[in-house]
Formats: sequence, C-alpha cells, structure tokens
Amino acid sequence: MKPTCRRICDLLTQYADGTLAAEQRAEVQRHLDACPPCRVVAGKECGARQLLRACAGRLRAEQVPPALRSRCQELSRQSATSQLWSRRAVRLAVAAVLIVFTGSMLSVVTRHSDALLAAQLTADHVKCFTLFGHQEGRSLDATQAQQMLQEQFGIDVHVPPSSASGGLELVDARRCLYAEGRIPHLMYQAKGQDISLFVLEGESRAPAEFTAFGHHTRIWSRGDRTFVLITPAAEAPAAAARYVAEEAR
Amino acid sequence: MFRRPSSAPSSADDFSAEALQFLQPLFATAMRLTRNRADAEDLVQDTYVKAFRHSAQFKRGTNLRAWLYTILHNTWRNRRRDASRDAVDVDSEQVEQLAAGGIGNEQIDTPERILMRSTLDADLQAALDHLPEAFREAVWLRDVEEFTYAEIAEMLNVPIGTVMSRISRGRRMLYEKLSAPAAPVAAGAAGGRR
Repeated sequence: MKPTCRRICDLLTQYADGTLAAEQRAEVQRHLDACPPCRVVAGKECGARQLLRACAGRLRAEQVPPALRSRCQELSRQSATSQLWSRRAVRLAVAAVLIVFTGSMLSVVTRHSDALLAAQLTADHVKCFTLFGHQEGRSLDATQAQQMLQEQFGIDVHVPPSSASGGLELVDARRCLYAEGRIPHLMYQAKGQDISLFVLEGESRAPAEFTAFGHHTRIWSRGDRTFVLITPAAEAPAAAARYVAEEAR
Repeated sequence: MFRRPSSAPSSADDFSAEALQFLQPLFATAMRLTRNRADAEDLVQDTYVKAFRHSAQFKRGTNLRAWLYTILHNTWRNRRRDASRDAVDVDSEQVEQLAAGGIGNEQIDTPERILMRSTLDADLQAALDHLPEAFREAVWLRDVEEFTYAEIAEMLNVPIGTVMSRISRGRRMLYEKLSAPAAPVAAGAAGGRR
C-alpha cells in the first residue's frame, strides 16, 4: 500500500461517519475518485456503517427477559434507601410497558400488512436466488417437492411442475427464511428470470398486487391458504407466472 | 427513544429510574458481547448491581448512558480475565492480518444488494457474532449505539486510535462476511434442498 493510500485509509472511519472536516473530506474524496483500491475499501466501510445504522433500531430491540427486568427493578428498589418509587419512576415503568406493548402490536400489524409481506418476501426471493438459485442444470421434480412440503410442513400443496410452455423450470423447494422458516418457498426459473411462489397456510387475504424493489408481487388466497408470487418487474415472464398462479392449489 | 442529553438525575430514585431506561439496549449489547442469553442476563444484572451501589460516584451532568456501558464492559472484561477460559488474544497478529488482508482484490457487492439480502436481521446478527470480540464491540458501540470515539475508548480502556482502527477493520470484515457468496444464513432458519 502506498503511503498516500495508508494515510487516506486511516481517515476512512471518520469519512464513513461523516465526522471529517470539510477540507479533509474533500481530500479523501479526491483520492477515492482517483484510486480504485481505496474506493473498494471505502465502499465496504461506508456500506457496513449504512447497513448497521439502518438496522440499529431493530438490533437494539432485543426482548428483555421479564425475569431480568423484575430483578433489576428489585435491585433499584433495594438501593433507593427507604424511598418508595417516585411517581416519575412509575410513569416510566408504564411507558416501558406501553412501548413493549406497542412493539408487539407492530409485529401483529406486520403480519397483516400486505405491503410489508410483499417487501419481506421480495427480499427473501432475492436472497434465496442469490445464495442458492443460480446453479447450472438444477431442477426438481414437482412430486418430490410436494412430498417435502408434506413432510416438512404437513401441508398438501399442489406444486406446479416444470412446463415446456414458457420454459418454466422448478429449481428448488426450501424452507423460507421468513417467519422463522415456517413457510415453504418454491423457486422457479423461466427464460433466465427468477420466480418465487410462497405458501402461507391458514391465512386468507384479499387479492393484492405490489411493485417494489424492482419486483412484482401478487398475493391471492384459495380457501385459508395464501399464495405469494414474485417475479421481476421488468421483462416479467408473464406466461410462466400465469401458469404457476393457475396451477398452485 | 430514551436517549436524553446527559441530564443529571436529581435523586436516588430518579437515578434508578433513569438507569433502568437503558435496560433494553444494555441487554442487546450484552447479548452481542456474550453471544449467550444466560451470560447476558448475568452481565446486565451485575451491571445494575454495581451502578446502584456506586451511584454516588456518578458525576452529575455527565452521560449516564455512557457510564452504564462503561460498567458493562468493565464487568465483562473482568469476568473474562477471571475465567481465563478460552483465553483468546483478540488482537493477535493473525486476526489483524486477516482483517487487513485481501483488500481490493475481490469482487464485492453494492450496498443496495447487500441491504436487500440482509433485510433479515438474523443474518446481520449472525455476521456480527462472527466478528472477533474486539471488533464486534467497537463496531456495535459506534454504529448501533452511536457513542463517540472518546466514549468508546473509555469503555474499552484502549486509546482512541485503536478504537478507530478496530471500527474500521470490524466494518470491513462484517461487509465481507455479508457479501461472501457462501454467507452463512442464520442457523436453523434455512433448510437445505430436499
């Protein structure tokens, strides 16, 4: 590493944090514009920082075991020499309870919001295809997939098989990462495009469609079973998607 | 939501109430530090025992939150030292080299792609837990808890320069962990192909 690069790299933490003085910031920026290796390093630092900042609220929201909470409250009572809890402390405790309560309400809302479901499953779709989906020559027999769903989830789903029309191929059947692995994820490909079908058992929703993150999501139910179909928004393999939607039962 | 500008608690029970506001983030921090629920609970409880016992030493007008985090990290360090089990030298040269190596040679994903893939917090947590402790705590305190370099230096009892280099390396390692093709998916969440 060149001396200049070494010096710039020492400034990258503050650069990512936005705590550099304007002059130094401009200097780092100039160097990054001219130096691809340093740009890669800066991209990693800034990327990790952005990601952590974006998720910080949820990372901090670790559920405190109720027993621990009461033990700590008991400790504070013991230490507050002879004084009873002040009104303010009671108010704070009530506020804390409310926050926990609202927190749990929020997750109920999430379960019922179609848009959030669509966003979450779109993320899952991208993730699963990135991690597992693009291996040459992979295909899966629909009966095998049905059997897997039966064994793993105890549900009897008709899995649309690979089909010559539209060039559709069933490539994988997985336990979805969403909802702690409780829902099945069927992965298809058609003409190089990724298609996902998720099955939510025991849920009924009104039909809905969304386009977000470059993907199209279609939600519909049959009886008390909900299906979620995700396709790329651009150059969607329409015929294949229609076939999957019609065949899924 | 609970963060306040270093206001000074006015009495003993105000102090307790204020200190207890930080229970949840302290517990989250303890979870990432210990990577174990039982240890995290012990650590947080010990922290409060000490905080309440030494509340008189807390200087009014200073930052109660930072003070609590300092106690938490001191307690954890002492415990680790006492236990001397799995005495891992976190700053071993090997780790430093591991962290510094391979920069700029590999293909990496854009933040957007990683963000998409990492929507599931479990993966981010798993990647954090995978970092060596020294890097994990520095990155956590900076990027999740937003403490200043000086505050972190005091909590970890290391110079500011060390704090900054640990944050820097920790972030890069985390990014590489998340963008690696074989990124580990949170344990138990993923089933293989059947």
